Amino acid sequence: MITTESTPEVAAQVRPPAGSRRTPAAHGERPLRLIVVTTVVAMILALVVWPIVAALLGSLHDWNPLNGTYRWVGTANYRRLFADPVFWTSSVNTVVFMAGAIIGRVVLGMALAYAIHSPLTRAKTLHRTLLYLPTVTPLVAVAYVWRLMYNPQFGAVNSILGLDVNWLYDSRFALAAVMVMTIWKDFGFGVILYLAGLYALPADVLEAAQVDGAGSWARFRRVIWPMLRPTTLFVVVTSMIGYLQAFVQVFVLTDGGPGDATSLISYLIYQQAFVKYDFGYASAAAFVLFLGTAALTVVSFRVQNGPLRGKGQ
Amino acid sequence: MRRTISSICLNLGLLAVSAVTIFPFMWMLSSSFKSADEIAAVDQHLLPHLWTLANYRSIQEHFDVLRLFANSLLLSVVITAIAVYTSLLGGYVFGKYRFRGRGALFSVILATMMIPWAVVLIPRYTMFTAAGLQDSYASIVIPAAISSFGIFLMRQSMDTVPDEILEAARIDGASELYIFHRIVAPLSVNAVSALAIFQFLWVWEDYLWPYLMLTTPSKQVLAVGLTTFSGQYSTDYGGLFAATTMSIIPVVIVYVIFQKRFVAGAASAAVKG
Repeated sequence: MITTESTPEVAAQVRPPAGSRRTPAAHGERPLRLIVVTTVVAMILALVVWPIVAALLGSLHDWNPLNGTYRWVGTANYRRLFADPVFWTSSVNTVVFMAGAIIGRVVLGMALAYAIHSPLTRAKTLHRTLLYLPTVTPLVAVAYVWRLMYNPQFGAVNSILGLDVNWLYDSRFALAAVMVMTIWKDFGFGVILYLAGLYALPADVLEAAQVDGAGSWARFRRVIWPMLRPTTLFVVVTSMIGYLQAFVQVFVLTDGGPGDATSLISYLIYQQAFVKYDFGYASAAAFVLFLGTAALTVVSFRVQNGPLRGKGQ
Repeated sequence: MRRTISSICLNLGLLAVSAVTIFPFMWMLSSSFKSADEIAAVDQHLLPHLWTLANYRSIQEHFDVLRLFANSLLLSVVITAIAVYTSLLGGYVFGKYRFRGRGALFSVILATMMIPWAVVLIPRYTMFTAAGLQDSYASIVIPAAISSFGIFLMRQSMDTVPDEILEAARIDGASELYIFHRIVAPLSVNAVSALAIFQFLWVWEDYLWPYLMLTTPSKQVLAVGLTTFSGQYSTDYGGLFAATTMSIIPVVIVYVIFQKRFVAGAASAAVKG
């Protein structure tokens, strides 16, 4: 079979006549391609590219849709933003919230996936189904469930812990309460991805480590964790992009309060835009968020492809 | 012996975590059948002493929850159908056709997934308002009609459609649309159902955009209805439990039936990424 490839007569028979391979494209492929590509390009231009340009322009204007103001102010909105203590509080809150939620998702996701993956575990499908359930339920609705759970009078959290804490109205606990709810909602996604990663690992590598006498912690630390790096990167990057934009849980649970204790950047943008109708200022904040997201994404991929790559393998 | 002990610990630990995970659902469901007195009681029990449907009856009287439920269902089904179809078509064209600029354009589609909603929200709002689309379902359907994530997911799944079958069909003179509907679509049924389930959920839970665009209360979706209900009847906790249950239960049922596809869909987006 290998030699027939090089025989000229056979090759001539196998290879279609010049140009025929692409001829079917002439009747049908091109119009369909044209329609699809044009529609996609038009939608991206209208719903993404133009809005980004409009947001950038808007951020340089005093822009209020209620009284029709649209007046050039240069960088005034940005200067105001960087001088605004609420912006800085919201930025710090966003970073803390993001870090906590991502750590929760990675740690719980990996630990539970590792536990489900273990040959000693029974009822794997049941656990997988239950642990992923919060992830697929509507965020607005489960945020309400948690608001009721945190209720100081009758909420389940206080009844179970035997505490008397007003979780959402105490500035010491409010952000943590929002984070706990978010971790509960989202860790299932980590479980599913790490499980997929674990099942994709080559079995012989794990066996070799076991035969070499590596204990389960050493096996995890030296073999599994490094080999799951791509999964971790995916979880971290998608979570970063998601949590930088987190909004609904704050809207439902705390309205950014008490004070600004749980205000996140996206919540600040929403407030400035659709409560105060200061579109210019909100656009400036949105643009800063955009640049932050882009920078973090680029840095994550640099880290993956940079000097740290392959460490421990 | 050591193996037995670690097995018991592992299984008990997992059971505990799973129980904690579903506890909020159980609590919500059981509380929705409690009377107002029992909800506010100092002495709390998981199950109601007296099961009552009063909460469900009162939310339907105070605010037409079934109407909002139907609105959400209609929008979710229509948008899911449109978005899945366009995603499959986009995935086919980007996965199976070779043309100039394909790679660059696909990168742009991927990049749009990283744009924060907050950036595009204000210009979209002014655009749709200026176009007179406020308070119309078109404003909800149009931005969701083409999904970057959907095109990405469907292009990933095009590997399962062999080029040879497409070539054979073309040589037999089949039109591109015939090939797409009769060959590509049936072979993509797994990816289609995974995307359909996620897309349905996203529309069902979408909150901010319908909140901004729909002004007539009876046209509103259930997710937004929950927040307005909570604002107007802030002490009707029983009603809130019942309304929340109604907005979660359909999704839970769909999930439990199709959980394998949910899981496959979530994993397939990442593994081949």
